[in-house]
Amino acid sequence: ADLRLSHQWSDQDVRHQVAQIVADRVAAADVDLTIRIFGSQSLFKAREQYRPLSRGQLDMTVLPLSYAGGQQPAFNLTLMPGLVKNHDHAARLSASPFMKTLEEKMAEDDVMVLVHGYLAGGFVGADKCITSPEDIAGLQTRAAGKSFEQMLAGAGASIASMSSSEIYNAMQTGVLDAANTSSSSFVSYRIYEQASCYTPAGDVALWFMYQPLLMNKSTFDGLSSDQQNALMTAAAEAEAFYLEEAKKQDASSTEVFRNAGVEIAEMTPEDFEKWRQLAQETSYAAFVAEVPDGQALLDMALAVE
Amino acid sequence: MDPLILGAIVAVTTILVLFSGVSVALGLLIVSAGFLIIFDGARSLELIPEILFGKLDNFALLSIPMFIIMGASIASTRAGADLYEALERWLTRVPGGLVISNLGACALFAAMSGSSPATCAAIGKMGIPEMRKRGYPDGVAAGSIAAGGTLGILIPPSVTMIVYGIATETSIGRLFLAGVIPGLLLVALFMAWSLYSTAKSGNTTLLTARSYSWTERFEILPRVIPFIVIIIGVLYAMYGGIATPSETAAVGALLCLLIAVIIYKLWKPVDLWMVLRDSTKESVMILFIIAAAGVFSYMLSSLFITQSIAAWIGTLDVNPWVLMLAVNIFLLIAGFFLPPVAVILMAAPILLPIITTAGFDPIWFAVILTINMEIGLISPPVGLNLYVINGIAPDISLKTILMGSLPFVACMVIAIVLLCFFPGLATWLPDAVMGPRL
Amino acid sequence: MAGQSSATAARTGNNLFLRAVAALSTLAGWCSAAMIVAAVGITCQMIFIRFVLNGSTFWQTEAVIYLAIGATLIGLPYVQRLRGHVNVDLVPLALPKSARFFMAIMTLSLSITMVGVILWYSYEHWHLAYERNWKSDTVWGVRLWIPYLALPVGFGLFLLQLVADLVAVLLKIDQPFGLEDT
Ligand code: NA
Ligand code: NA
Repeated sequence: ADLRLSHQWSDQDVRHQVAQIVADRVAAADVDLTIRIFGSQSLFKAREQYRPLSRGQLDMTVLPLSYAGGQQPAFNLTLMPGLVKNHDHAARLSASPFMKTLEEKMAEDDVMVLVHGYLAGGFVGADKCITSPEDIAGLQTRAAGKSFEQMLAGAGASIASMSSSEIYNAMQTGVLDAANTSSSSFVSYRIYEQASCYTPAGDVALWFMYQPLLMNKSTFDGLSSDQQNALMTAAAEAEAFYLEEAKKQDASSTEVFRNAGVEIAEMTPEDFEKWRQLAQETSYAAFVAEVPDGQALLDMALAVE
Repeated sequence: MDPLILGAIVAVTTILVLFSGVSVALGLLIVSAGFLIIFDGARSLELIPEILFGKLDNFALLSIPMFIIMGASIASTRAGADLYEALERWLTRVPGGLVISNLGACALFAAMSGSSPATCAAIGKMGIPEMRKRGYPDGVAAGSIAAGGTLGILIPPSVTMIVYGIATETSIGRLFLAGVIPGLLLVALFMAWSLYSTAKSGNTTLLTARSYSWTERFEILPRVIPFIVIIIGVLYAMYGGIATPSETAAVGALLCLLIAVIIYKLWKPVDLWMVLRDSTKESVMILFIIAAAGVFSYMLSSLFITQSIAAWIGTLDVNPWVLMLAVNIFLLIAGFFLPPVAVILMAAPILLPIITTAGFDPIWFAVILTINMEIGLISPPVGLNLYVINGIAPDISLKTILMGSLPFVACMVIAIVLLCFFPGLATWLPDAVMGPRL
Repeated sequence: MAGQSSATAARTGNNLFLRAVAALSTLAGWCSAAMIVAAVGITCQMIFIRFVLNGSTFWQTEAVIYLAIGATLIGLPYVQRLRGHVNVDLVPLALPKSARFFMAIMTLSLSITMVGVILWYSYEHWHLAYERNWKSDTVWGVRLWIPYLALPVGFGLFLLQLVADLVAVLLKIDQPFGLEDT
């Protein structure tokens, strides 16, 4: 059988490599299963992948799950400030009852997870360092994700919405004073050429985004047990790789920024607590108000040690 | 089936369907739907509305109607005539002043409009009758405006550059800047040819323009200053950190509408509606082609044709310049028949990997591609600008317009050759203004 | 004359159906133009808020995009009525009159089928978004059935205008491809 996998990234990106490992291992297993990867949005645009996936028009995708937050509001918890503390915590979250509940919601859309994975990110400032909520007040800021926009607006920032590919120009021309996105996007869009200070994900980090490799459930169920086994074995290997690489991304992005002469700032645990306090009043509150079983889901996530 | 053979079948089918006279956008949809039904199953048709909507779901596309409104609102006034008249009064010592002034006005107007037919209409309405009245040969009068009008898509802003930028993920700001120097180069070549052919026609009195007093020169300035202000203002907003190109377009559109209403007294609702109607018509036509081409490229990608062609080209061991020649011939032929936006959208996903693998610069290539599209606009069988001129001056035969335009096509070919030898003509300005490439 | 026939609207004669459809398409054209103007206004407002007031501009980009999509889709029937959708009419021009007539009927029927299929799936797409109350994944969180409504409405009116064009050709009220006899 032929499966189609779509994603939005270039073929150097870690998320492409995750997909490639699965495709290679499955091919090596020789179970009459090929996975054809369509990268760089060459088949579907980034935010248009979830619906074809859930209807079986697309077999697999590597997708930030919060992109589908408009269809399943619960998915917004996969990009919530301060919910994940570091990569090991993220891995525990992926194996928790909280994630099981989210997977049940995915199953409603005929979608299942093959590879779990979180990537972290940080902040850049055009003129100063962003570590605590006071730093961002009054700045034109681009935030990655709805809940971050809510939190940063709560801190007094002015929110300008644009895609991560526009950050470079917007900072260069002075439209933006600060931005928040993933470590790998900061590097691939060469934001270090425009920033004066970088606050990477370190021992504590605010910004974690769940970006799993998903598959259409009916398509998976329709495969032979050999094929299913090959997929699951490949997925397990890819997941271990994904976790290791995710940790490396933060360190290597810091290195790139430092080499470019950008000041590196660190978020202290006290800063982190201030942000989390703010998030509770803004994005957490908005989430609970919007989602019927929101409080229960949030409690499940917060219960993960 | 081998994707390459499939690709050839798709190409032939597309040509046949488009030649049936069906509209380009619907033709692309029909071809895509046909192949999707055969190879992906009828169920894949349910994706079409999402893809159409998704292709249009892009903030940068908004600048297309805006830059069209900029041109259309000014074109509906006598601003075009003012522009070339002012130029003529000031360029009075330049031989062949009137045709030079008309070409200069085309270039200036192109800096306010993103589309070519609008540029053509705006300057030609007054410019062609005036040139003929003063004895310029019909071919020169019509050909210079038809060709000058094509600058609309080379000198920024440019609708086709926006579409190329989106299709290839290239910075629209850089693409705009890349068009400036080649645009000026073309203006110079056009002027040189116009002078030469006017001289050759034997009517040398045309080359000595009438003289103007300083009063006459200064009294026309107030009518031109607003446009200079708009052009500089838009450029400043775009490169000075006020706004992105798309946002700038909205400010430009608003300014041009205000100038048309306040300075040119375009306040009758009927006149305003004409501006909006023409802009809406052109924008919707272009945007629908963009959406339909999105479905077409989904089909090509889904059938693995795009990827296979790119891989196949990668294995070819040909001289890059031979490749470039082939690409140019392909673009030229496509441009003969299809509107620029359709060519760019259908060709860019396939051509871009070829171009970059062969070591060519995508920004430079955008300029080459645009000049090819300009040739298409003034060449048969489907030359939009030729028909605009035919509408303005119905008593000049299509054949005369065509023959008058041909030398300008030669100028464009020369420009392409010059750009091949001196790529810096396109790449120097964007790099100088926006810093070295990402 | 080939190419984009310059602004000669499709003829309606005294046929009531054709005139009604023409009126609908014109109304759609007004809506489309109004949406483009609104998009210009909102974009300018956004720049003002951001640069003069240094305020938040979280909804404007999205609103403007939906307006532009709406303008395109709702504008389809009007542009069809104005014969503004470019085509390559070399072959129809070269054909004798009777063959041109059948060619026009064939291309119009194909177009009608295509737009009919898109209309059907547009309705389904819109209905799903409405039924499940999908929202955009932004702070603004627009209920998506509102912008998606432009799909069935736009293609529905487009279909009507195409059918009217076919009727006009069949009843000899309008020329095939709008090409005048020369
Ligand atoms: Na222009
Ligand atoms: Na042509």
